[in-house]
Amino acid sequence: MNPHPSSCSNGRSIRTRFARRFLRALKKIGSKGSSSRPSPRDISWRCRRVKIAADASMASAVGPRRVWSRTMLNMLRSRSHACLHASRLGNSRRPGADRHAVGKRKRLVLKRKLPNRLGLNQVNQLRRLVPGGEAMDLDILLDETAHYIKCLATQVKVMRSIVDYCSA
Amino acid sequence: MENQPGELNFSADCFFNPNWDNSIDQNDPFESGLSSIVSSPTASYTGGGFLGSGDSLMMRELVGRLGSICNSGEVSHSNNNSTNTSCYSTPLSSPPKSNHFSSNMENKFRGGNLQFSGNRLPYHPSLPTLNADPGFVERAAKYSCFGSRNLGEFIGQSGPNQSELPCKSVPKLEFSRVPSCQSMKVAGFRAVNQENKSGPFGRKLSKISRPPSPENAKLRNSREGSSVSEQNPSGQIGLKAQNEANPRKRKPIPNGKGKEIPCPSPAKDEEVDEVNAKRSKSDEDPNNEIVKGSSGKKGNAKTTGEDDQEQKKEVSKAPEPPKDYIHVRARRGQATDSHSIAERVRREKISERMKFLQDLVPGCSKVTGKAVVLDEIINYVQSLQRQVEFLSMKLATGNSRMDFNLEALLSHDISQSGGSMPQTIYKLDSTAQALSYSFHEAQKMQPLPNGISNSTLAPVSIDPLNAALLRSRSIQLPSTFNSSMPQVPMIWEDDLQTVAVQTGFVPNQTQSFHGQMKLQL
Repeated sequence: MNPHPSSCSNGRSIRTRFARRFLRALKKIGSKGSSSRPSPRDISWRCRRVKIAADASMASAVGPRRVWSRTMLNMLRSRSHACLHASRLGNSRRPGADRHAVGKRKRLVLKRKLPNRLGLNQVNQLRRLVPGGEAMDLDILLDETAHYIKCLATQVKVMRSIVDYCSA
Repeated sequence: MENQPGELNFSADCFFNPNWDNSIDQNDPFESGLSSIVSSPTASYTGGGFLGSGDSLMMRELVGRLGSICNSGEVSHSNNNSTNTSCYSTPLSSPPKSNHFSSNMENKFRGGNLQFSGNRLPYHPSLPTLNADPGFVERAAKYSCFGSRNLGEFIGQSGPNQSELPCKSVPKLEFSRVPSCQSMKVAGFRAVNQENKSGPFGRKLSKISRPPSPENAKLRNSREGSSVSEQNPSGQIGLKAQNEANPRKRKPIPNGKGKEIPCPSPAKDEEVDEVNAKRSKSDEDPNNEIVKGSSGKKGNAKTTGEDDQEQKKEVSKAPEPPKDYIHVRARRGQATDSHSIAERVRREKISERMKFLQDLVPGCSKVTGKAVVLDEIINYVQSLQRQVEFLSMKLATGNSRMDFNLEALLSHDISQSGGSMPQTIYKLDSTAQALSYSFHEAQKMQPLPNGISNSTLAPVSIDPLNAALLRSRSIQLPSTFNSSMPQVPMIWEDDLQTVAVQTGFVPNQTQSFHGQMKLQL
């Protein structure tokens, strides 16, 4: 197997890149909103923006090397384009709305429980969790999962430290 | 020992070079001669029958002599002469081409000797008379040790060895470099022998390394012949590390079940090393085996419920550029279908990655079973994603305050504060746990004089908070996260020390929001 890079050196560089991008994005978001008490709608909008910023900065910090980061970047780009087009057309459709609709449709369908040989249920679940996991083979999927976990952990660390610092 | 894989790589590489004849002529005059000689007995032995007992005795003696020569550096020409002549005259004479090749061998052998050292060849005078029999032995040794192209290198590397028998030095070099090389050589013979019989030595090699080619087939046949002729001697020698050379021997499976998937040759050599380590205990493997090597992959022998498995499947990365094909060794009792073998390889890759994931995810090392591990992984990923969401929400709500904070933060070296965090924090607590911990922290902070609000962190000054952290660190740690939780206050402490702390109270709105969030979670 390809040797996994040492978490130390990679984590540090990914971490710094992510931190910088994320902080810049946060500044941008903060500057947009009004400092006076924001309405709940504003708060939810801002939450979404921050989350998108977190994902985008993480994905761009990782770069196009990984399948999941590529997928995430494409998703974000397409979503932003869809948002732009929607706003241009005057459509108030939110980017996540169609996802919810799809989810609802899926919930109505009865799922037959097959004997879980080889952990296929879990594998499918994992595919849904990891961005871009639908189109991967299992071994690549596991690889991507490992890297995704590492990056998520880094993300959480950095964001937590930022929160702690900002709350101070 | 480090040189060995590289050298063996070269040797194997050269050995299985598709331009075999040409390269052999340039690099190793022995090889073609050897192949020819070895192929000659093939005619007699294609049936897979054993040598006559007399021949086997001769062979045994010869190989023993060779081994003793290599070990002690002595030469016994006369004995070899007699044995060799008697040994090889028959096979050599049987095919019509043997004469041609024998003379060819003589010339090449002489040339080869000159190539090596040229000076001390106590063997040398006897060689021409032997009809290249010792040459055959040496070639056989080289053949088995893959000392083809790199003999020069071998000699260069083992300089002092050159002082000893040069002509015999060919096998000797390899032997001296590798203590087990001799066994490998004999093992190679024996391994080759074993393929033809399903007796005690049962292991068969479907194939070994390089891209298939006519030379390969030729070599295969030749090797088969040589192995058959020498099976008894190898057994006599009684070397236990027999199958070490197996992965590098190319051998057609007699029943034709073996599949050749040419593989990166360098992989083989390291495979041999691993095999050496692993095969010393077991000899027999009557089933067909296909060695798999893949560049850049380290293999572990996996025994999936079989009794006597020790063979490894994959090979560690080699310095040479990877070739197109991959050699796979089928395990005992398993199908040698190319599909099933490829599937098995894929399964091993998957299990290897699962193991890595198990190390990555906390609390996963104890569980067994794919489904459970996957469940844990899924839970962990979901918890991480939820944490990101929660933290982003937190950031969003407190964003109004954060502008000046962010400016300060950006101006600082973010890596410094990030680097202060222990690298080992993979054991991230779940969101609820984090909240509970911070809740406890907040509660601890309450008695502080400045009336710190009930949020995660609202220090007015560094010292009280640090004191609180220090106090709280030893207590109220969730039992399951003992190892990870102490790191969290460390983060806070470091962050607080490294960054300017801005005093202020948390606005009521966000404070209540935080409280609500905590309650919900």
